Amino acid sequence: MKSPAPWHVETIGSTGTPLVWLHGWGYDHKGLGRIAALFEARNINQLYDLPGFGQTPMMHEGASTSDYADRLVELSPKDQKSVLIGHSYGGRIAVQYAAKYPDRVSAIVLIAGAGLQRKRSLSFKIKASYLRMIGRLARLSDRIVKTNLREAYTARFGSADYKNAGPLRATLVSAVTENLTAEAANVKCPVLLIYGAEDTDAPPEIGKHYAKLMQKARFVELAGYDHHDILQRGAYQCEALIKSFLKEIPDA
Amino acid sequence: MAAQKVIAVVFGGRSVEHDVSVLTGLQFLEALDPTKYTGLPVYIDPLGQWWTGSALTKRSRYPIAAGTAKDLTQLTLDLATPASGRPQFITFQKGLMGEKRTNIPFDLIVPAIHGSNGEDGTLQGLLEFADIPYIGCRSLGSAATMHKIFAKNAARAAGINVLPELSVKRPAKGSFLDPATLEADLKSAFGAIEFPLIVKPCNLGSSVGVGKADDMDAVISSLMTAFRLDNEALVEPFVANLVEYNIAVRRAPTGATVTSAIERPVREAELLDFKNKYLAGGAPGGPKLDAAPSEGMVSLNRTLNPSELSDKQNSFIRTSASKLFDQLSLAGSVRVDFLCNEKTGEIWLNEANTIPGSFAYFLWEAAAKPISFLTLTDELIQEGFALSAARLGATDTKSGGATIFAAG
Repeated sequence: MKSPAPWHVETIGSTGTPLVWLHGWGYDHKGLGRIAALFEARNINQLYDLPGFGQTPMMHEGASTSDYADRLVELSPKDQKSVLIGHSYGGRIAVQYAAKYPDRVSAIVLIAGAGLQRKRSLSFKIKASYLRMIGRLARLSDRIVKTNLREAYTARFGSADYKNAGPLRATLVSAVTENLTAEAANVKCPVLLIYGAEDTDAPPEIGKHYAKLMQKARFVELAGYDHHDILQRGAYQCEALIKSFLKEIPDA
Repeated sequence: MAAQKVIAVVFGGRSVEHDVSVLTGLQFLEALDPTKYTGLPVYIDPLGQWWTGSALTKRSRYPIAAGTAKDLTQLTLDLATPASGRPQFITFQKGLMGEKRTNIPFDLIVPAIHGSNGEDGTLQGLLEFADIPYIGCRSLGSAATMHKIFAKNAARAAGINVLPELSVKRPAKGSFLDPATLEADLKSAFGAIEFPLIVKPCNLGSSVGVGKADDMDAVISSLMTAFRLDNEALVEPFVANLVEYNIAVRRAPTGATVTSAIERPVREAELLDFKNKYLAGGAPGGPKLDAAPSEGMVSLNRTLNPSELSDKQNSFIRTSASKLFDQLSLAGSVRVDFLCNEKTGEIWLNEANTIPGSFAYFLWEAAAKPISFLTLTDELIQEGFALSAARLGATDTKSGGATIFAAG
């Protein structure tokens, strides 16, 4: 097997502790560019395109966040202890990385970080299991009598991310069904958790749950921001929180 | 951790620049350090009524029909300082037992209103009277820079290059401008009359009411237009091959006057094109309003650190801006605008804006020593507290030896 391709990276800033920025699903390195630019004077900011996004080719089909973390460790200089900042899906990778490689990370920051299951109402759970059953039936019927029901099912019920995922579909499915409870409990480094109060994709309840599981976590909820505009309108508020957090990290 | 200070950002207002002011106010709120401050949005609608509510932070909600919006609360500013010393807003809510009064305490006001009734010293005077801390220029500097002729005279006194002007007062009711007198006045102001001439209202900030006149008739009609907005107007020579340059200036925490990057705003016609493209929501993938402050919009609107300026021009702009700032005892982030004849290279100071759009944060972020908007808001707030605390000193009658009513 040939060695996997390196990830495309943009670097902003030339001195200071390296900050590794991991974007969310559907973005590329530019997704975190607005915030990272605010750290230009004080950090070396490495903004990656995650596999399958921007200029980085896909890893193997079905690659998980854990595989991404392994690859990221290979890509980072051996003597470097990184600070990882992940938005949404990028947050999953940061949690995996911090749990698996505690001596290669000095702190992590999750902005609207995903990775834990949300509390769902009973009616939501019933609806979801009913839909899953229809999906399985559609696939079964496709296999046995060569219908095309599964595609119609996806078009009708699939999320936008799922529909757009293309060859990354297996990776997406493994991510949304994954549960990082055990990994979160293994994160030993300090963690900053920033969540927008109006985020419906990664609501503050996920951040609060992370804060309970992790050993050294600080949770902050920012009023008036959702999953995406927290990276734009909320850039300065994130800047303030991250800077005051980094001040307290001895080797950052 | 010390208690968070509540920062009331006041925007909107009874001003032709109402809409831009909303954006400026929201940007300031978004750039507040959440570890130190809590932002309180306060919207003044075009009728002059004050409102608060989290709905105000959404750009998509504007224009707001404040009177009918259920999620907004009407406010009044308490001008009588409570004994606690902490300023407050008052709201009244209808309940079962009649109207219930609630106080919303805060620590400092950020005036984010451009133009009249906000940038002109009126709001500042009101806040000084009520002993409420606020950021930016004090009432004197705000009023002085808003009055274009006063500001130009002050600049002249400080040795800054400005265009000559003729001040014309609105004629008394029932009378008209006399063309012969006007012509004589223009001759004595400019030597010979060379058209075109520029006519501006004396007190407005933006380009509203500004006219270009190619003959005497046009001068008179432009003056009449200006008099609908202001009771004083000024006539200035037209600058050929006009390019504009703007710079921001402020006092750093060290006490030194510092200047920002210089910008060349895009010309009016180009600006119109920009608006059509991006603000009217035409281009797919173009910046959405709720995504601001966005680097994209900022850079499309202007050229930062334009390369065509010589060292001499560069330092002329910087020194003139700093001189004016000191001459008029200004404060906050002040944007000073200059006119330049592209062919001859001559530069004149045009005007100063004490509450510039977006507080000119993009000029500070592009400065030789960049300052993030986050740092800027923090330093403006610190300066505001310091200036308000230093204003009067002791005001009790004893300290002035003016006690008449002695207790006991």
